[in-house]
This record gives sequence, C-alpha cells and structure tokens, in this order.
Amino acid sequence: MKLQVKNVEKLYGNGDGIRDINLDIEEGELLTLLGPSGCGKSTILRTLGGFISIDKGQILIDGKEVHNLPPEKRSTAMVFQSYNLWPHMTIFENLAFGLKIKKVPKAEMSKRIENMLKLVGMIDHIKKYPTQLSGGQQQRIAIARALLLEPTVLLLDEPFSALDAKIRVQMREELKQIQQSLNMTVVFVTHDQEEAMAVSDRIVVMNKGVIEQIGSPTEIYDNPTTRYVATFIGEMNFLKNTDGTTLAVRPEDVVINADNADTSIEGIIKTIMILGHYTSISMEVGDTTVHAYVPRLKANKFSINDKVSISFIKYYTYN
Amino acid sequence: MEKENKVLPYLMMLPSILLMSLVVIYPIIMGVITSFQQQESGGYGFENYRYFFENDYHTTGIWYTLKIVVITVVAAIAISYLLAIFLRFSNTPISRLMGKLYILPRFIPALVAVNGMITVIRDSGLINRISQVFGYNLHLNMMYDEKGIILMNLWFNIPFATMMISAALSAINDSEVEAMRDVSASKTMIFTNLILPLTYRDVFVAATFIFMSNISSFTTPYLMGATYPKMMGVTLFDLYNNFHYGRAAALSVIMFLFSSVAASIYIYINMRKDKWEVGR
Repeated sequence: MKLQVKNVEKLYGNGDGIRDINLDIEEGELLTLLGPSGCGKSTILRTLGGFISIDKGQILIDGKEVHNLPPEKRSTAMVFQSYNLWPHMTIFENLAFGLKIKKVPKAEMSKRIENMLKLVGMIDHIKKYPTQLSGGQQQRIAIARALLLEPTVLLLDEPFSALDAKIRVQMREELKQIQQSLNMTVVFVTHDQEEAMAVSDRIVVMNKGVIEQIGSPTEIYDNPTTRYVATFIGEMNFLKNTDGTTLAVRPEDVVINADNADTSIEGIIKTIMILGHYTSISMEVGDTTVHAYVPRLKANKFSINDKVSISFIKYYTYN
Repeated sequence: MEKENKVLPYLMMLPSILLMSLVVIYPIIMGVITSFQQQESGGYGFENYRYFFENDYHTTGIWYTLKIVVITVVAAIAISYLLAIFLRFSNTPISRLMGKLYILPRFIPALVAVNGMITVIRDSGLINRISQVFGYNLHLNMMYDEKGIILMNLWFNIPFATMMISAALSAINDSEVEAMRDVSASKTMIFTNLILPLTYRDVFVAATFIFMSNISSFTTPYLMGATYPKMMGVTLFDLYNNFHYGRAAALSVIMFLFSSVAASIYIYINMRKDKWEVGR
C-alpha cells in the first residue's frame, strides 16, 4: 500500500471539514476525489501534502507516518489549480529550483529537466517566462516540475479547471499517459464527474466532508449506493414511488413503447432533441419529466405529444 | 475642421497650465533665482550656498538631518516589511486585528500625535510615572534628541510603508508560496527567492517616499528636537523668520536636490521592467 489514510478528521470553526476519512491507495493508482465545492475534497488533498494539519487519525506513506511533517519534509508533490509557477523565473529556473535544493549536480540537473520537458512536449519553451505561456502550457510545466522531484505521490488540486474545455480533455489524456508510463501514484481532485470518469482507476465520491462511495468508474456509474451518488454521477431520472421510496433510472435504461404496450407508466412526449448518434426524448410522466436516450433510428417513429408507455431495463430504489 | 482639433486640446489644457505656472513653476524659478542673489554685494553668486557648507553649525545640521532620515527609512522599511509579511501570511485573530489597527496612526493629526507622544516619553511623562509605581525613576532621554524624532517618524511612516508593502505582498498567491514549500524550500529561501524579487520594487518606492517626506519634516523636529543641531526644516523656518530670504531659498534648493536623488531612484525603479513582467 502506497498511501494510507486512517480515520482522518479535520474540522473548522464553522463546522465544515472532513470526518471519518479512510483511504488505501495502491502504488501506480490514480485515485480521484470527486464532489461539489465545499465537500472537503481539497481539504483531504491538502492534508496529504502537509498544507493542513489534521485533528485526528493517521496518514502513512510507504507505511511511515507523515501527518506531523510539514510539506517541505514530505515526499509528495502538489500541482495547484493555477498560479503554480514562479513568475520571475524562466521555465528552466522553475524546474531547476527544487533540484538545486536537493543538490543535484548541474549536468545531471540539465539532463533531467530536458528529458522532463520532452515528456510534456515543452522543450521549445525552456527559456521563456510563465507569462509567455498559455494556461495549458503552464500547467504542463507545473506537472513537469512536480514530477522532477520524483514524488512518491503526486497530488493534483483541480489542475485543469481553469482551462478551456478542449485543452482540458487533451490535458487529461496526456496526464493519464504520463501517469501510466511512469507508474505514478496520483491523487486527483476534481468537481467534474466526466473528468473523474475519464482518468480514474478509482473514484471517491465526497459529500459534506464524508466519503459517500469508493469504487471504479464503472462501479460508481452502474451501482451508485446512495441517492446522492446517483444524482452526482451521470444523468439520472428520479420518480416517486407510492410507498415513499424513489426510483432512479438512467436515460439510456428507459425504453419507450407505443401506447398500447402493457406497462404501468404512461407519458406524453414533450421534446425530441437529436444529439448526434442518439436522440434525447423528454416525456411528461405525472408531475415529473423523464429523459430517455434513444438510438436515432428508433426515435424516428415518435413525434411530439405522442402518448407512450415506458419501461426500464434497469433501475435503483432509494429511500 | 482638422485645424480646430489640433488647437482644442491645448486650449483645454490652458487653464491648468496657467495655474501650474502661477503656483508651482513661477515660485520654483523665483526661489532658484533668489538663492543666487547675494545679500551684501547685491549681485549673483554662490554666497548663500557657501554659507551652509562653510559653517559648522549648518553642515552639522545637514548631516544630522540626513542621519535621522536614513535611520527613519531603514527602520521604517525593516519594521514595515516584517509587519506586512506577518499580516499577509499569519491568519490568527491577532494578525487580523493588527491588520485593521495598523493604519490608525494615519488618521490622527500630526500635531495631536506629536503632543501625545511627548506626554508619554518626556522625562516626567507616562512611562516615567509608570516606572515610579514600581519604585524606579526611569528617564528615557528621548526628548530634545534624535531618538524622539526618529520614534515619531516611525509612528507616521510605518503605517504608510506597511500599506504599500502589503499591497505588493497581496499580489503573491498562496499557491506560489506553497509550491516553494512543496519543493522543500526553507522560510529564508522563500523570502530570498520569491517574496523579495516580487516586492523589492514596492519596497524601494516606499523607501523613496519616506525619504522625501522626512528630509523636509518640520512639525516633529520643531516640537521634539534640540536647539542644536537642528533639522533642515527647522533651520529653514528660522532663516525665513529672520528675513534671510536668499539663504532660505538656497537651503530649499539643497533640500530639493536631496529629494531629487530619491525621486530619480523612484523614477528609475518605476521605468525599469524586468523581463518576466512583460505581458503580466
């Protein structure tokens, strides 16, 4: 086990914070902390990096307690959301700073910096200053700077959330590639569930300072254990049952039948939107709206205001 | 139409140019001319200037002024820098309270502040009386002495310098500091490699401001200073009261020259852009 978090608690004066945090992170794993802002995901990451002290519990890296050490004594490296680079230093100087502190010989230092810049595709920018680079390029350098220190665990605090959507997708692919090729242990914080699904080996879904569910992206998507997780990950329809429980169905699990079919739920088609290779149909069912994703060809036979009956391939029930 | 447009801007500037000429430029020119007028022979020459540099009483006064101002600048900057760093990076109830209070001295009128300070530090003042309660008879010996003047200067200038340096420090992001800690940099390294390079300009600007405003200070040395040596501002007041207009003018020019050294440092620092700042 590379990184262990045992019963960690950190509470702030206003009652916010994290409670009962338990995590086991394997070597070479990319674990994502996912949740809305204020759920405590960044707090966990910052306790791992040593920027926040903990009230209770233990943090172990390679079996050794680290929770009393300051950031400068921990073998972790952190990449922040933005303003990562020191603005008055060139890219080379930014990368060299940490290595100088570690007293790496000059020739070796230059070689390692060049290799790292090649890895992140930024070797041409070695003499530039951070302000001369785009946001995405700056984050590449920030990741390179963190990797150069050969951290035991790399901590990423929403590193791509300040970037354009297109660059963000590209960056997360690159990150995944680098992480796999170096077999890095990574803890990644994001509020973007799509980003979490795309890069993670396992996802930790957080809610108000506690862990709601831990699992692989498929487990989390296919078997959300709580209603909160079901709401937060992917699209979901919620229908009230007569017994007070809630029925949850993913739009792709909704089947629309012609009106005469023998199912109990009836609806009226309200909108039909073509979204590329599939069509999104919304229906009025009682006083709620149900969304369904239907293959294009099957959707052709429906039109607005059609009375239909619907059935579900798969559904979940929550209290 | 085009001709009109060329004249219009000058016309619009004319009132302020006239006003400036009348109240600033004209007195400066007259002052410089007066400083070269020789009282006895009537002609023009350096007699008024020579008076200050060939007279021990006045050279001592000039050196005394420079000494007080330099000590004020160095001490005010050092204290303000530490205070501003504390306010920026410490997040405790005490630092938050100090962050609100440090500016307070600037709201107290100078005369009130000086008189208040006198009642505290004079040999029969508050501190002396408190010491008597404990059976001592403490004399600070700060009145009619440079120590008192410097203390008062610090009262006036620390809030100002702290404010300027705080503004510069607030431009440094937490993540920039944390990223340095993350690569194992010590506090000293963070100061020399990050905080100093990103704030030295504002520190110099604050220093030049303090220098310029204190080289001609009057209220504090007049109320708290000794009869000898005197700071230049007080000497200027004496000369003027005794109708030595030529000498007063010469001393003004000398003070102006000292100020312009500071002013040129200020301009140089503001004009100079480091390479990394392009596009920032």
